[in-house]
Amino acid sequence: MAAAAGPAVRCSLWQRRSLRCGPGPRPVPGGGAPLRLCSTQAVPQAGINKPVIDRIIRVDHAGEFGANRIYAGQMAVLGRSSVGPVIQQMWNQEKDHLKKFNELMVAYRVRPTVLLPFWNVAGFVLGAGSALLGKKGAMACTVAVEESISEHYNNQIRTLIEEDPEKYKELLQVIKQFRDEEQEHHDIGLEHDAEATPAYSVLKTAIQLGCKAAIFLSERI
Amino acid sequence: MMVSKGNQQYPPLRALQASAVLRRASDEHKKEPLASSSQQHFDSPPAGHQPEQKPQGPHPSYTGQGGQESEDYESEEQLQHRILTAALEFVPEHGWTAEAIAEGAKTLGLSVAAAGMFRSDGSELILHFVSECNSKLSELLQKEQKLVQLGEAEKKPIDEFLRDAVEARLRMLIPYIEKWPQALSILLLPRNIPSSLNLLTSMIDDIWHYAGDQSTDFNWYTRRAVLTGIYNTTELVMMQDSSPGFEDTWRFLGNRVADAMAMSSTASQVQSTGEAVVQGLMGAAVTIKNLAGLNQRR
Repeated sequence: MAAAAGPAVRCSLWQRRSLRCGPGPRPVPGGGAPLRLCSTQAVPQAGINKPVIDRIIRVDHAGEFGANRIYAGQMAVLGRSSVGPVIQQMWNQEKDHLKKFNELMVAYRVRPTVLLPFWNVAGFVLGAGSALLGKKGAMACTVAVEESISEHYNNQIRTLIEEDPEKYKELLQVIKQFRDEEQEHHDIGLEHDAEATPAYSVLKTAIQLGCKAAIFLSERI
Repeated sequence: MMVSKGNQQYPPLRALQASAVLRRASDEHKKEPLASSSQQHFDSPPAGHQPEQKPQGPHPSYTGQGGQESEDYESEEQLQHRILTAALEFVPEHGWTAEAIAEGAKTLGLSVAAAGMFRSDGSELILHFVSECNSKLSELLQKEQKLVQLGEAEKKPIDEFLRDAVEARLRMLIPYIEKWPQALSILLLPRNIPSSLNLLTSMIDDIWHYAGDQSTDFNWYTRRAVLTGIYNTTELVMMQDSSPGFEDTWRFLGNRVADAMAMSSTASQVQSTGEAVVQGLMGAAVTIKNLAGLNQRR
């Protein structure tokens, strides 16, 4: 049984109690077996709604990747200003998110979106561009993006709950936690006078439109 | 076309009902040694009395009231699967054609009209074969992985792993190698391209998964594209290879895999050189900014 894989196995997040036949490797209970970290163990593919889960993980991975690049862009411009530490802290959390989704992507054998190189550049440009508008501009960008992402995560949570809250318990846990952290970033942005940016509503609408397009494309391509 | 089973005559039936008829026929085949009395039952009424010819007694009933299936009811898909598997034996002789399917159906005790369930160009037979080969490969790789996990086998280096996996998969073609070029051309028909592409990509993805690929960036695509290229070219070389034991093909495969490894190491060298250059330029830019006094704290 998967749960008996030995003391070195960490994070019960990935232990599966029932062995299923599927293309993923089965965790083998064995004293002499070289233990793999459970973060890289594959999730049995049978029984999950592959198309839905694929999309969810692909778009979330793309989103966290993009968010990383946005903060990188902002740091490049505002790194040595007074909001530098704030942005750095938010960036660190996004790095953790991305790491988690990288693990999920391998575990569920999901393909990444083809547009990753594009999001790489676009994210950095958005971050740097908004930061060039000043500290408030960067915060406004943060508010806009984090609001989009929170709404998007909420939609996914709803979808997963409709599907089967028990089967996707771990995934739901992860997404809920990330949604809460993105909401925190959103609030931090507001605290730092995001709304005082000149042309705030225009900027916010434009960025959110871009986010919606990015989400739409990353789910499919 | 009339389907006749022993003494019974059935009117022409459409393909959708054909499988039902064939199942009925195969069940009756099974029942014949046991129920000769019921055989008489069907003999006496003239050909016009169709309804009375319906099997009675413990036969599975599929008279249209959906959902009334007995436990040994076989789905159409399973039946097709069985027929196609049986038909593979006749491919070296008849090619990927309806004849092979008909022969296969005969060995299962079904009528040759079973071939009418499938398209006449043999596409389903070929797709079935490819899918079976992919499943076999998957099982093989899974077994190997288990051995490595148990510590009973050494983990192979990537190039050896890829070479062995592609070789194992291509060896499954050997019994059918004469007719395989025909199969390849059929798989390239526009109608079959979505399915054949799907099968190809899932096989390549499987191989990379068991090779331990954990990339989550664009590398995911480059690796699969490269392996697909290797697989396809090696397959084509194999078609024209007449060396003993296909050793030319395996040598070709080894060279292509080595090329791919060299290419990837070159790519990473280029990347690190590029990064070093960028770092150098950034350093120069910062120095100039400092000298010009532009690097003030905001």
